[in-house]
Amino acid sequence: MKLVKKKEGADQSPAQVVLNAATMDRRTFLKRSGISAGGIAAASSLPLSMMQKASAAAEPAASGGKTDQLRTICTHCSVGCGIYAEVENGVWTGQEPAFDHPFNRGAHCAKGASVREHGHGERRLKYPTKLVDGKWTKVSWEQAINEIGDQMKAIREQSGPDSVYWLGSAKHNNEQAYLFRKFAALWGTNNVDHQARICHSTTVAGVANTWGYGAMTNSYNDIHNSKAILIIGGNPAEAHPVSLQHVFRATERNNAPLIVIDPRFTRTAAHADLFMRIRPGTDMAAVWGMLWHIFENGWEDKEFIKQRVYGMDEIRAEVAKWTPDEVERVSGVPEETVKRAAQLMAQNRPGTFIWCMGGTQHTIGNNNTRAYCVFQLALGNMGVAGGGTNIFRGHDNVQGATDFGVLSHTLPGYYGLSGGAWKHWAKVWDVDHDWLVGQFDQGSYEEAKGKPAKPMNTKGIPVSRWIDGVLEDKANMAQKDNVRAMVFWGHAPNSQTRGPDMKEAMEKLDLMVIIDPYPTVSAVMHDRTDGVYLLPAATQFETYGSVTASNRSLQWRDKVIDPLFESLPDHTIMYKLAGKLGFGEQLCKNIAVENDEPNIEDITREFNKGMWTIGYTGQSPERLKQHQRNWHTFDYTSLEARGGPADGDYYGMPWPCWGTAEMGHPGTPNLYDTSKPVARGGLNFRARFGVERDGVNLLAEGSYPVGNELRDGHPEFTADMLKQLGWWDDLTDAEKQLADGKNWKTDRSGGIQRVAIKHGCAPFGNAKARSVVWTFPDPVPVHREPLYTTRRDLVEKYPSYEDRKSFYRLPTRYGSIQAKDYTADFPLIMTSGRLVEYEGGGDESRSNPWLAELQQDMFAEINIEDANNYGIKDGEQIWVDGPEGASIKVMAKVTQEGVAPGVVWLPFHFGGHFQGKDLRDKYPKGSDPYVLGEACNTAFTYGYDSVTQMQETKASLCRIRSA
Amino acid sequence: MSNNKQSRIRHHRMVVFSLLSLVVLTLVLPLIPYAIAELGETAGNVANPGTEYWRDVRQRDRIVTGTTQVRGVDTDVLINVTGEEWRQFRMGQLAPYGAIVLGVMVGILVVYYLVRGKIRIEAGRSGERVRRYTSAEMTVHWILAITFVLLALSGLILIYGRWVLIPLLGDAGFSATATASKVIHNYGGLLFAAIVPVAFFLYLKDSLFNLKVDAKWFLRAGGYLGGEEPSAEKVNAGQKAWYWVAMLGGFVLVASGLVLDFPNIFQQGREWLQGAHVIHTIVAIGVIVFFFVHLYLATIGVEGALESITSGHVDANWAKQHHDLWYKELQTGQGGGSASEEPSMSGGSHAGGVASPIAKD
Amino acid sequence: MARMKFLCDVERCIECNACVTACKNENEVPWGVNRRRVVTINDGSPGERSMSVACMHCSDAPCAAVCPVDCFYYTDDGVVLHDKDICIGCGYCFYACPFGAPQFPQDGAFGSRGKMDKCTFCAGGPEEDNSPEEHAKYGSNRLAEGKLPLCAEMCATKALLAGDGDTVADIYRERVTWRGSSGIGWGWGVAYGKAGLREGKAIEGKATGGE
Repeated sequence: MKLVKKKEGADQSPAQVVLNAATMDRRTFLKRSGISAGGIAAASSLPLSMMQKASAAAEPAASGGKTDQLRTICTHCSVGCGIYAEVENGVWTGQEPAFDHPFNRGAHCAKGASVREHGHGERRLKYPTKLVDGKWTKVSWEQAINEIGDQMKAIREQSGPDSVYWLGSAKHNNEQAYLFRKFAALWGTNNVDHQARICHSTTVAGVANTWGYGAMTNSYNDIHNSKAILIIGGNPAEAHPVSLQHVFRATERNNAPLIVIDPRFTRTAAHADLFMRIRPGTDMAAVWGMLWHIFENGWEDKEFIKQRVYGMDEIRAEVAKWTPDEVERVSGVPEETVKRAAQLMAQNRPGTFIWCMGGTQHTIGNNNTRAYCVFQLALGNMGVAGGGTNIFRGHDNVQGATDFGVLSHTLPGYYGLSGGAWKHWAKVWDVDHDWLVGQFDQGSYEEAKGKPAKPMNTKGIPVSRWIDGVLEDKANMAQKDNVRAMVFWGHAPNSQTRGPDMKEAMEKLDLMVIIDPYPTVSAVMHDRTDGVYLLPAATQFETYGSVTASNRSLQWRDKVIDPLFESLPDHTIMYKLAGKLGFGEQLCKNIAVENDEPNIEDITREFNKGMWTIGYTGQSPERLKQHQRNWHTFDYTSLEARGGPADGDYYGMPWPCWGTAEMGHPGTPNLYDTSKPVARGGLNFRARFGVERDGVNLLAEGSYPVGNELRDGHPEFTADMLKQLGWWDDLTDAEKQLADGKNWKTDRSGGIQRVAIKHGCAPFGNAKARSVVWTFPDPVPVHREPLYTTRRDLVEKYPSYEDRKSFYRLPTRYGSIQAKDYTADFPLIMTSGRLVEYEGGGDESRSNPWLAELQQDMFAEINIEDANNYGIKDGEQIWVDGPEGASIKVMAKVTQEGVAPGVVWLPFHFGGHFQGKDLRDKYPKGSDPYVLGEACNTAFTYGYDSVTQMQETKASLCRIRSA
Repeated sequence: MSNNKQSRIRHHRMVVFSLLSLVVLTLVLPLIPYAIAELGETAGNVANPGTEYWRDVRQRDRIVTGTTQVRGVDTDVLINVTGEEWRQFRMGQLAPYGAIVLGVMVGILVVYYLVRGKIRIEAGRSGERVRRYTSAEMTVHWILAITFVLLALSGLILIYGRWVLIPLLGDAGFSATATASKVIHNYGGLLFAAIVPVAFFLYLKDSLFNLKVDAKWFLRAGGYLGGEEPSAEKVNAGQKAWYWVAMLGGFVLVASGLVLDFPNIFQQGREWLQGAHVIHTIVAIGVIVFFFVHLYLATIGVEGALESITSGHVDANWAKQHHDLWYKELQTGQGGGSASEEPSMSGGSHAGGVASPIAKD
Repeated sequence: MARMKFLCDVERCIECNACVTACKNENEVPWGVNRRRVVTINDGSPGERSMSVACMHCSDAPCAAVCPVDCFYYTDDGVVLHDKDICIGCGYCFYACPFGAPQFPQDGAFGSRGKMDKCTFCAGGPEEDNSPEEHAKYGSNRLAEGKLPLCAEMCATKALLAGDGDTVADIYRERVTWRGSSGIGWGWGVAYGKAGLREGKAIEGKATGGE
């Protein structure tokens, strides 16, 4: 029973493993093992005790162990809870609450309270494994990297670099996410993406196109200042439980009403003052319905709209159509309730507007998110403490991974894929631009602005559609060949829709590489017999680096333990693979590498040099570590350090943290807040969409942050603008050299930003938010019925889009699917959501016995009325059939009012069963999660957002029957 | 003039009215908020969720089902409302009253013994032995007896050991005793459960009440309280009563005991356990009280009784005295004693003929 | 002397089960034994409320009263503990406990009860504080280290409070005051009516839309 390093677990039943786990690590390394002396009485003379087993198993304690207390951040959701990890002789022996952490004050949810289990890792993938003739076979790292590299090179040779798909992860830390995006770029493809595509991509697109940045505008802590809280399509009581700590502070101390809009009476709704049940997919009706009352009663903030909003009149015209009758007809909510919600929000300002995936995962997800923004703009709730759009992101680093452009449509920092963007990053990376261009496929498969576009400059296939990248006829695709190799680098396939299609795609691939701490469902859901590699990645507790919480704060994590078993940190694996593929040198040109492990701090410093657009430039490793050491100095509400070494900084320097680290910008706690100087975290809406449209001024009018010397709206800063303003000589000579001919985004000296801020100006200009996004399919957000809708009577009035030929390189269907009526066979609405015990695809959390014990069965929540109509009893096994032919077998959970009649709700964390078949024996031995279950997404159907290709998982159809 | 007067009167009236209204208003105005508050209270008559919650938890108005993610017995019940009742029963009633009942019975028997002494075979031993029980009957009796005694003893230890034995054995010592008692009780109970039905059928025929005879026996209290000893069959009415108490009680004990056993297999809820425990202990105390009487009469109470179940034979005079009808039956050979059916099993030296149930020593 | 108490604020508990896993984490409780659990009343209906329960360390503990071997004892802090060396696993404490706190791992043939296990208020057992023996039998002894039970310390919304009864009561009282006497006891209807903000929770709207 040697414990310093974990061994591979023997073949044991779950209960046995847990018992052993319980009797091992801590016992052997007990804190006060030295003073144990006398008291070891033979426990009891009779052999009937649980504790006797324990004593028998107790080894002589290793004495003299030193306890280290390390500071890390929970790896589950985006709240970013601080954790104290106690480590003794390399074993993680204790987890203490971080009462001094400004986000969570020691609090956790079920997941956070059990992260120490990562130190056990009983069900981890233990060593590189390869599928040979249907059997999992252990291989060495070297062999695995060599074989994978050779096959990739061959595919590249035959089909071009776009035939290898790099699927990254929101579980990477910032440094790894950045390196991963760089890795894909150096390989020569834009076929790189991660889970943000399927959780909040519509938010990022919608919000960024409204006012500049696509992120939570305020923070969890800032909810303390809210006078009203509206949550739509979110269940933070389960998805972000610690956020409720902040919500309750507002409801209790400010008497702030809590309004919850959701199809399901959630645990959050249980604490709401007003619950508004909508039909899944009718967010637009609810929001425009509320806005109708606001406009009708003149409750909007006219001054704010005049100064800071573009296009509200067009919104008025659309909202006018949403009379109370129409709102009730479409969404099912009576006038009384809608009016009351509107009134509560209008009378209690500032109010915050929170949404999650209930709003985003729709074919009209981008419309929904923009409507939410417009609602807040109308009430003047933006840019104030207590207001804002508080978008709760999902994974711990989904914000960071998004910011670093682990996305098929942009480079890090939302620079996009234009030639200029590539040149900027080539300079930051210090690689030859021509060489970089040469890495890409030189063909041309689509046109942009009437000219042939190269794959380097066209959006890659999004993760939601990788299946089609494999299965679609390549003649219809805007790239050379189909996707032939998939790299799942921290991804749960069961979080994606269309299970049977995915299985087929997996089986068609030449090569599958799964790099993850757990085998994941990718290892088992197909019937392949070879061509699958599983590489054990280390968790974030086995490495260190920065992570971006939902509120844009960057937090530094200590390394808690060494990588367990044979696992390696993700950035080490990236370096090894890059070396094999021939661009290892370019990948780490200015990054020190030791034992194949790129230096984390060097990576941080490198992205500090390039991420000017969103202000990831001021957060140097040194400043981040200083914040980490001084959690206790940051205020619980404002997040500002009061005294201490980080005095005046906001915790984690929420981006944008302008300029260089030397400039000492404190970070921006609330976006677009004009009550502070830009140098102290103030801001205004970004001038991103030009200065004028159809003769209407797009710049802000008479609104600007405190201390702005221009005292009005202004365009974004360029070197030329500085010269015109006579501020050019504020730059140092060194800055002038780098800044000349550049703008605030591409000036690698940071001088332009520094000077603009010195004069009180936001580097990105000062404009109005636009409530009309003229570049989107629906400039004014409108309601469109889901592709699979129960309300055929509404399809004519609210039809979906027309099918599109090439959208993210793929044909994408809308109207042709909606045209068919499935309601006769599939009369129920199918929707999905989250459970507190699990996260994402759940491979990690279902492998944690402390969590798994609490959710042992995949279930479907159905209303008692439907249950009675279909003859289904609570706890019974049922089949849920989707309209595209998939069927899943789950347990029925009958509810009185949890979901309304006609709605079936499914949690999305389960996996390991496929259409009624238990796949447990297909996992590599000892690495099957404790709990398996049917993935709800197996039955979910086609449907993708019109801007971002977000998958539709919140409104589909199904039928239920007894199994 | 009149005009003037009128206006003066009007003026007076106005003054009076003004004063009056002023007074009234001063008195009433401050009350208005109360009235409004009162109205508001009735209008916004919203139930207090805190109070409602606790009413639900305690199941005062209706049965409210809870849910929980933790699996196990009754995990979905927030408050075990019957637990306190059960505690009152066990600690306030079972333990003290049980002790009283048992103690009183022991006391009665002691007093009886002191007053009445051992009931002798009046005619003295005849030397003639009569076969009373088959070896099967004896075997079953002793299995039953031993398990019963062990169960009774271990059960009583679990109820009273805390007060009686901890001072003697100490915590650890008593814990070992109690653990042994628990094991004996849990598994001994299974043996008991197996043997009770066997005993029931084995002794059933002899234990059916014969109203004519047995009523008389009961009326005279078997002669134990003086007077002539009433007639009795092979099994007298008191013994029959003991049979029925032991058997019916046994069935109840077995049934309730099985409810209490193996909670981890059957996952039975607390209300089952509490209910079963109440029934089990009350019945057990009752059976033990009867058992004391049986034990007394079979051992030191009646001369020549014990040997019937140790050897299977009794003295003829004993039989004549206590079971005259049975003895008569044997004499006439009507009923056919059991010995006659299984001579080879009777053991000992029975020179007597096979047909004769009476053997000479 | 302090009297240790738990209090769960049902207006804040969101059934996130952090207390349950924190307990597992701190005390290495095996699968199947749950010293703490969260019970939800009226699940999925208006009026839904959750509460975290474990041993409440009663002043007149029914478990201690009914224990046939008298294995329970009170610490100076008013924590109800038991001695597993003495416990015989009879289950009587489970019958009597109002909160379903006593847990019994399976042990012996036919899954009969092993020694009782329950919440110790993170105060260990009779063995020497923080000795390996104590940890093996009872889990952590945080009180001896000057810390409070981890379940309450990690509660997501600070619904579960633990500590000296007086302090806990003070915190709760302050909270109730902040709430403007909503939620509990006196004046609830008036407060809600007047503020014009909150009313009885009712579900409105239909999922399948109008008509």
